[in-house]
Amino acid sequence: MILVITETKLTAPGKFNPASLEAVAAAQQLGAALQLPVAAVVLGADDAALAGELATRKLAKVVRLQNPALGAYNPDVWVQSLVQAVSQLQPRYVLFPHTYQVRDYAPQLATRMAGALISDVTGFRVENGQPIFLRPMFQGKWAAEVAFTANSAPGFLTVQIGAFRGDQAEAGAAAAPLETLAVTPGPSPLHAGEVFQEAKQAVDLTQAPIIVAVGRGIKEPKNLDLVRELAAALGGELAASRPICDSGWLPMDRQIGSSGQTVAPKLYLAVGISGAIQHLVGMKGSRTIVAINKDPEAPIFEVADYGVVGNLFDVVPALVTALKNQA
Amino acid sequence: MTHPEMQADVVIVGAGPAGLACALHLARLLDARGLSKENIYVLEKGRALGAHQLSGAVMDPRGLEELEPGFAGDPELGALPVKDDALLVFTENHAVRSPVTPPPLHNHGNYIVSLNRLAQWLGAKVEALGVNVFTSFAGRELLFDGPRLLGVRTDDKGVGRDHQPKANFEPGYDLKTPIVVFAEGTRGSLAKQLLGHLRLGGENPQVYSLGVKEIWDLPAGRFPAGRVYHTLGWPFPTDLYGGGWIYGLRDNQVSIGLMTALEYRDPATDPHNLFQAFKTHPFMRELLEGGEMARYGAKTTPMGGWYAHPPLAGDAWLIVGDSAGMVNSQRLKGIHLAIKSGMLAAESVFETMTGQGSLRGYPAKVEASWVREELWKVRNFHQGFEHGLWAGLFHAGVQQVTGGRGLRARYPSQPGPARMRKLGTLGDPPLMTPPDGKLTFDKVTDVFHSGTRHEEDQPCHLLIAEMDICNERCVREYGNPCVSYCPASVYEMVIGDDGAPELHLNPSNCVHCKTCDIMDPYANITWVPPEGGGGPSFG
Repeated sequence: MILVITETKLTAPGKFNPASLEAVAAAQQLGAALQLPVAAVVLGADDAALAGELATRKLAKVVRLQNPALGAYNPDVWVQSLVQAVSQLQPRYVLFPHTYQVRDYAPQLATRMAGALISDVTGFRVENGQPIFLRPMFQGKWAAEVAFTANSAPGFLTVQIGAFRGDQAEAGAAAAPLETLAVTPGPSPLHAGEVFQEAKQAVDLTQAPIIVAVGRGIKEPKNLDLVRELAAALGGELAASRPICDSGWLPMDRQIGSSGQTVAPKLYLAVGISGAIQHLVGMKGSRTIVAINKDPEAPIFEVADYGVVGNLFDVVPALVTALKNQA
Repeated sequence: MTHPEMQADVVIVGAGPAGLACALHLARLLDARGLSKENIYVLEKGRALGAHQLSGAVMDPRGLEELEPGFAGDPELGALPVKDDALLVFTENHAVRSPVTPPPLHNHGNYIVSLNRLAQWLGAKVEALGVNVFTSFAGRELLFDGPRLLGVRTDDKGVGRDHQPKANFEPGYDLKTPIVVFAEGTRGSLAKQLLGHLRLGGENPQVYSLGVKEIWDLPAGRFPAGRVYHTLGWPFPTDLYGGGWIYGLRDNQVSIGLMTALEYRDPATDPHNLFQAFKTHPFMRELLEGGEMARYGAKTTPMGGWYAHPPLAGDAWLIVGDSAGMVNSQRLKGIHLAIKSGMLAAESVFETMTGQGSLRGYPAKVEASWVREELWKVRNFHQGFEHGLWAGLFHAGVQQVTGGRGLRARYPSQPGPARMRKLGTLGDPPLMTPPDGKLTFDKVTDVFHSGTRHEEDQPCHLLIAEMDICNERCVREYGNPCVSYCPASVYEMVIGDDGAPELHLNPSNCVHCKTCDIMDPYANITWVPPEGGGGPSFG
């Protein structure tokens, strides 16, 4: 038998990780080539919906693992539960989608079961009845052929995302039988903290009509509030040149220039930015450029439509006051 | 952390002229015997073949003609025969054409080539023979068992600035191999690790020059393609070794550049700025008037000659090309020597793989070849200039009539930074040429024109052993020469939180010239390759 361990973790509200179905497609193709039945395992919170979805596919069965501890992800709980499931179901191969969660627990599971893990599988072929798997090396420049040695049962495989098509996961003639399997993971010293928020959508400065960008002239991070206030008064987004983001005073997704974003807003206000060419290429397409800099020779003035030669610590507060009075 | 392990037959580190010549010649030798080339790996840190290749470059055809007879007729390579040449002596306001071009600077029969294009051209031939060239993969460290070299580890991908793996993390590969060919070019970081680990070195220390170069688009007819000028004199004082070049390329382009010996006394010496000054010479100003700067690059060149060669081979390794210091510093040529040394190394590797010999046979091959014949005649040339231009010209003359010997068998030498004087022991600091944005440029503008790109979120690839040395000692003793010698504004002094100056690094500006690794007076800076694929895009 071939077992697919799916992931119930949603990628968006109500949306299963499509990688689970891709892994099912991979398992079905492998099963067809080796004449082995395929079963799916579902574990984790909200597993019923995914189990229902999987039951429509061409699978020998869908097994839901049951234990209250499976409500929240914990690598110890996952590994111990899956050791029990795999031991009981006795598959020849165990496939996973190559998700972050799988990368976290699959190596441990394989080690615990004295099995080998082939990660990031992109395809396979069968030679003398034995499957030979392909996995990328050297960042995809090569596909290495890897096979399990005869005694390394079961063989664990993670399937690279996008290598198989989820919509090619075959539908079954009839609903696959649903089974439940009670597992008894032991206590874990790990306890879940707050769920890690994956990096928020980077600020899309390219859509901002007004950008107030700050450079090294601001001198110290605490002075950034001054420019923040100006951005707020103008209703614009705050951005920066490389030294500011490099020093960690603002996040890197606020960086304008050759190693950051390229923008062309209606108004670009450059505060304390000298205008190295690396910065200019990221903003010179702006409709109106206003520069404030104390050095009249600063190259920023070559691209500016309006320039203020002066100390930003005088000019910016005056601008903020003027804008507030106007409002 | 575990690294996936792979067994290789040969690992060649670096896809420049030496490494590619080695790979190509070896592949052909193996083909002739029907042997497998499958497990030969060429590692190249640049994101594409040729991306990190920089030279003037006028090439003596001798090496390439042996490797690829008839190369000159191949339009894909586009080698341009030198049509005329001259030596110009610059004084502050005049350029005097030397009535005779000294024989070493005769370039008839030589070719102007793009080193970048040469690497692409050779690399395509290597790949066509089925040898794996892995661009964007740097040799990051060596694997040893005691003194025994076991292989090469490639760079980790996807490590953040905080040294933690990122979502795209991929560990480097451990390439286990009986044979490593070090072809990393000038000041190879792995060759340095190898020689350091085994405590090996040449009879003389290696010394270097830094070449700073721009390619300009000129009005049509200004400077003919195939013309080669070298310059001596201004802006260098006579105690500073260096010279300039102007090479006429196709399509109304010129390659102009200045080589500054990294053996200067004044820590405020700034080779990039000297090059800017060079362009303000009336001769250069007139040449460049109405033109536009198109490309920029900088690279060091080993100049120490024969006595500065490190041992060239061990049981499991060979060193070729610039990594071995195979440059004729009198003729300012090394590409032909790089190619030849790569071919000789290939023969040694082949003999080792087929049980007919060992890698230890390679130095004898070099000895018996025209590489030695050529370099032996100039074995003391560069060291003769240790005490300035006039003494140097005298020694060069004596060496000319004594077959390279000069006044003693081996002229001694000291490492470049050992000559650097402390602050306050010299007169006024050198005059700086301010950038005007048309003829002269600041470093960051030039860096922009080198096409340099690095992943910003990665550990700094310039390892500072002790930051306190920079911020407390060096600032007092030498005034942080890194800020001056770096041609890419990687190093700057900024005012820290406590109001005192402190060193700040911009590693993503780095054009991979290696000057900092060479020239730091405390040897406090170690250059290691950044994540593979990062760096300049010379072309």
